[in-house]
Amino acid sequence: MSAGGGEPNPAAAPSPCDDVQGDGRWLSLHNRFVSDSKDKEPDVLFVGDSLVQLMHQFGVWRELFSPLHALNFGIGGDATQHVLWRLSNGELDNISPKVVVLWVGTNNHGHSAEQICGGILAIIQVIKNKLPLARTLVLGLLPRGKRPNPLRQRNAQVNHLVAEAVSSLPHASVLSVDPGFVHSNGSISHQDMYDYLHLTPQAYQAVCQPLHGHLKSMLDKPAEN
Amino acid sequence: MSGHETSPAAVSQPVEDVHGDGRWMSQHTRFVQECKDAEPDVLFVGDSMIQLLLQHEIWRELFSPLHALNFGIGGDTTCNVLWRLQNGELDNIRPKVVVLWVGTNNHQHSAEQVAEGILAVAQLLTSRLPRAKVIILGLLPRGERPNPLREKNVVVNSVLRSRLARPGRILLLDVGARFLQPDGTLSQRDMFDFLHLTAAGYAAVSKPLSELLLQILEETPEERKTSLV
Ligand SMILES: [Ca+2]
Repeated sequence: MSAGGGEPNPAAAPSPCDDVQGDGRWLSLHNRFVSDSKDKEPDVLFVGDSLVQLMHQFGVWRELFSPLHALNFGIGGDATQHVLWRLSNGELDNISPKVVVLWVGTNNHGHSAEQICGGILAIIQVIKNKLPLARTLVLGLLPRGKRPNPLRQRNAQVNHLVAEAVSSLPHASVLSVDPGFVHSNGSISHQDMYDYLHLTPQAYQAVCQPLHGHLKSMLDKPAEN
Repeated sequence: MSGHETSPAAVSQPVEDVHGDGRWMSQHTRFVQECKDAEPDVLFVGDSMIQLLLQHEIWRELFSPLHALNFGIGGDTTCNVLWRLQNGELDNIRPKVVVLWVGTNNHQHSAEQVAEGILAVAQLLTSRLPRAKVIILGLLPRGERPNPLREKNVVVNSVLRSRLARPGRILLLDVGARFLQPDGTLSQRDMFDFLHLTAAGYAAVSKPLSELLLQILEETPEERKTSLV
């Protein structure tokens, strides 16, 4: 997978997270996901970074997604290349969910929007190879930072590129889950994103209600594409 | 003090905006603003362990009723908290107790240096708030299985314990032992990523903490009431 002038795309090259801190937590979580999935039969798999992971910690998960038989494979800090590695190394081997919800890319620091889009497309391809009957629902990247900044622009550009690329794929679709986090003055409230990146329980409600409705309709009318 | 050199963990330093969205400074600026409108009796300050507490129901149950403010920022080291407290986050407030929980992110520093950094923050707090008490929360074990960072955090706690052996205005509350299972692992029921706490993990920390806070607040003279008379 490459982006631009044939350069290898770091966002689309599967790589495990370096255990720079030395407590092995990333690999512990990955191994846990693989072993936990062996006795589960999820209909929905959530995979991605901290935005997926933290969803699991709040009431909204038990209220909306546990009843859909959902598993959560979120790891804080993950970029596309890390999710790509995890999905290529066991996390999809014991399960056959009908829908995979993918939310990753905002942590791809140093990568261009084109590279991040390439990373997301590579993940969609791995999911298709491992789970030929599943559909992937890509959630749009959210704006971040209290005030307008280059990362907001980059995330918006990623969303634009991914929507365009995925429109031609029968096994994938995109969903924007931003209920309007940016106010008219350009700012994001800490009531929604407590650190201007991660969501409060109230903001998870705003994101997850429409997502839940969308997932239910995907599960109710199987594979029309 | 073991040496004459200042611990690098006791050097005040802001977080560099490497990602380019200015989130750290936005949070600090908001905290400084909050100081102008609030009259907290309890201030919580530290890293993500403090920050995420605010997102759980138990904050509203146990700590909001104590008039508490939360100045936690994910990823912060002792150096970063020191900088924040020296740059406006203590202006205009007079909390009776400060809960300090930081140090597990000081990856570049030795255990002894981290302990010195934590004590430097606590001493800044007691000098800026001459009547306040400081509760240092001991660092928790981290990582699913035994690993060097767990050992380091154990040493940090034991240095703190010996430095704070004599009763004073700085107290140590170490609740880490309850998270270790008999086989030496940590449970995801307590720490979802083997570092950050679940709602159940926060409940286990918050009960002894709120008891200690209530005890201190009862002992502390009601400054605000008398000043209103
Ligand atoms: Ca499509």
